[in-house]
Amino acid sequence: MKITKKIITKIEGEATLKIHKKNNIIEFAEIEFWQYRGMEEFLKNRPYMDACVINPRICGICGHSHLIATSKAIEDALDVKITKKAEILRDITLGLEIIQNHIKWFYLTLYPSVKSKDYFKALEFTKEISKIIALIAGQFPHNSYSIPGGVTCDLTNLELIKIKNYLSELFNKYQHIMDIEGKSNDLEELFSDIPKTTGKGLNRFLVLGDNLFFKSNGDVKYIKEEKSTSLNKNVMYKDKYFEVGPLARNLDNKIIKKIYETFTDSVYTRIFARLYEVNLIFLYLLEIIDNIEINEKNYTKPLKKSGKGIGVVEAPRGSLIHEIEIENGFVKKYNIIVPTQFNLSNSTKENPSPAQSALMNEDEKLSDFIFKCFDICAVCVSH
Amino acid sequence: MLDVQKVKQRIAELRKLPGIAPKSISEILEENGFTRRDFLKWSGALAVTLGLPASFAPVVAEAAEVSDRLPVVWLHLAECTGCSESLLRTDAPTIDDLIFNYINLQYHDTIMAAAGWQAEENYEDALEKFKGRYVLCVEGGVPTKDGGEYLTIGPHAETGLHKLKRTAKDAAAIIAVGTCSSFGGIQAAAPNPTGAKGIHKVLNKQVINVPGCPPSAKNIVGTIVYVILFGQLPAVDNFNRPKFAYGLRIHDLCERRGHFDAGEFVEEFGSEEAMNGFCLYKKGCKGPYTFNNCSRERFNQHTSWPVQAGHGCIGCSEPDFWDSMAPYEEPLANHKFSSVSADATADKVGITILTVAGVAIAAHAAISAIKNPKE
Repeated sequence: MKITKKIITKIEGEATLKIHKKNNIIEFAEIEFWQYRGMEEFLKNRPYMDACVINPRICGICGHSHLIATSKAIEDALDVKITKKAEILRDITLGLEIIQNHIKWFYLTLYPSVKSKDYFKALEFTKEISKIIALIAGQFPHNSYSIPGGVTCDLTNLELIKIKNYLSELFNKYQHIMDIEGKSNDLEELFSDIPKTTGKGLNRFLVLGDNLFFKSNGDVKYIKEEKSTSLNKNVMYKDKYFEVGPLARNLDNKIIKKIYETFTDSVYTRIFARLYEVNLIFLYLLEIIDNIEINEKNYTKPLKKSGKGIGVVEAPRGSLIHEIEIENGFVKKYNIIVPTQFNLSNSTKENPSPAQSALMNEDEKLSDFIFKCFDICAVCVSH
Repeated sequence: MLDVQKVKQRIAELRKLPGIAPKSISEILEENGFTRRDFLKWSGALAVTLGLPASFAPVVAEAAEVSDRLPVVWLHLAECTGCSESLLRTDAPTIDDLIFNYINLQYHDTIMAAAGWQAEENYEDALEKFKGRYVLCVEGGVPTKDGGEYLTIGPHAETGLHKLKRTAKDAAAIIAVGTCSSFGGIQAAAPNPTGAKGIHKVLNKQVINVPGCPPSAKNIVGTIVYVILFGQLPAVDNFNRPKFAYGLRIHDLCERRGHFDAGEFVEEFGSEEAMNGFCLYKKGCKGPYTFNNCSRERFNQHTSWPVQAGHGCIGCSEPDFWDSMAPYEEPLANHKFSSVSADATADKVGITILTVAGVAIAAHAAISAIKNPKE
């Protein structure tokens, strides 16, 4: 047996893969992350509102999810219920973040690991989508419009019409990437030389957030974080590893289910679910935007000063958990668990994490591609 | 002084160097549906952003045309990739991103095609081949504690600190993109567990800072084009920020400024005052202390900016703002600043970090806040 070290780049940072192989077939892979920033340390002893400004900076790609998870955690701790309008606005911006992330990941990160593709295709979308988010949130990336108790913005009818118009235009445009039937030329081209059954995961799925149309299938109290061999931390649910992300949360969709039943939880199914989720989110957003009651309040003031709370959202890459302990308006304890930790825990050969399982028994040539199909975010891990 | 002839000479020299782009910029623009007229309009707008006279517009266009002669190396350190994300969503005019695609980007972790070992090889090649000629853009702060081991890059587990120093040695110009590389950023917030610093603290060369979390794409592209145009760094303020972008306070051109002067403030989110778009100073807006062009340029193709969405400015382009501007939802003027000395107000601390004009505004803000007729 031979062990080679491989550096995975272009994942908003780097990861190290130590591949144990025999005749170029991967027997086992160790996953290591060697960056650390210490976000939870800065939050201690600051007023809890500061968390809403600091936390988006965990990640420039999915900072919005961190912002909303923070707001939700504080709301849970201080017993605040937000209005329907605030909830819909948060769903729209978070949904859009997921959409732009998926498109960018597909063309900028995943495609180049196999063949080259014009990345302007992705940029066209991300630019327009950021514009819609900016209409609601002020700017993208990094904004602070969501606060514990609701949102700061107050949209006019004209802005809502604009948003709706942008949404339906982009939805139509997306049909050229993947249509509502699930047909995608670019995806088929990507798999022209790769078997669609490559890279099977654990076949165990976990959804913890309940934003957008996603339905939770677990309880956060069974989550356990554990030290790993590198600067990453392993995450388990009821002492087992689970896969989180678009495939996990969309298994009840008919079209995704059909692909899953044909190819099981392979790389192809994972990518398909991610691309198809974009369609589902577009349709959902177009539906909920009509439910906005423009005269409804956008903010409810928190009255309590202390408490413990948990905020969970389904972020682009899967379930994201923020835990907070507030004492007299100040943060006493903060803990963040990101989706990449679930999927890329570094465990043993006997009890592998989803990504380790997907890599095992596959050709070493494909390791970069299989690894990236989980849509890894190294900066989130290095919080 | 600005001399068009000198710039033209420089461009003529650059033009003689071999370009890497397979097509000329005009061809690329045409393919993407832009006309020559659009291009000149963009050049005019950029000339204005850079604070150049209108006569410079055609020269800016020429500089953009030869921008593939000047290699750019983009280094990621401890950061969140938000600055690159901002760049990928460049402001209007949208030609910016085409130009950036055209710029000879020798190495950029997120958008280049190569990965892993091959990327590392490209990197070393670029440093050797373009020695003394390349522009180095750095995104992210540099961890320095314990020899910098909180950030290691590449197959040889080189520390970020070492890689930065090595790359900076032969760079023609160094641009710190974003607050992290300019001043350390979020990693450097108290208690700064990794000893993160702005890159100018570890280099003995001039660094131009383009802070912001994230900075607007226009400021990033503008600075790079300026370097191409003049072969030197633009005029800067005392924190090495280009004056064309960081010359004015957010407050100076804020759309809510009229309400500030009239003493009309938002006291609570979701209130009637908030709906009327009153001034956010009392909800912690740091616009009066922050030098940047957000209120003029906005974000995401001029669509909006945080103050328009009802949240105050957090002061993200100022040094150490993560500590000096906190708490972010409370005004600096009436907040006791606990860490320096118990009875010093944040305004006094503010004095040390601002220019004299900045202090005048801060005082004005404090007085207006007291005189508020609505109280």
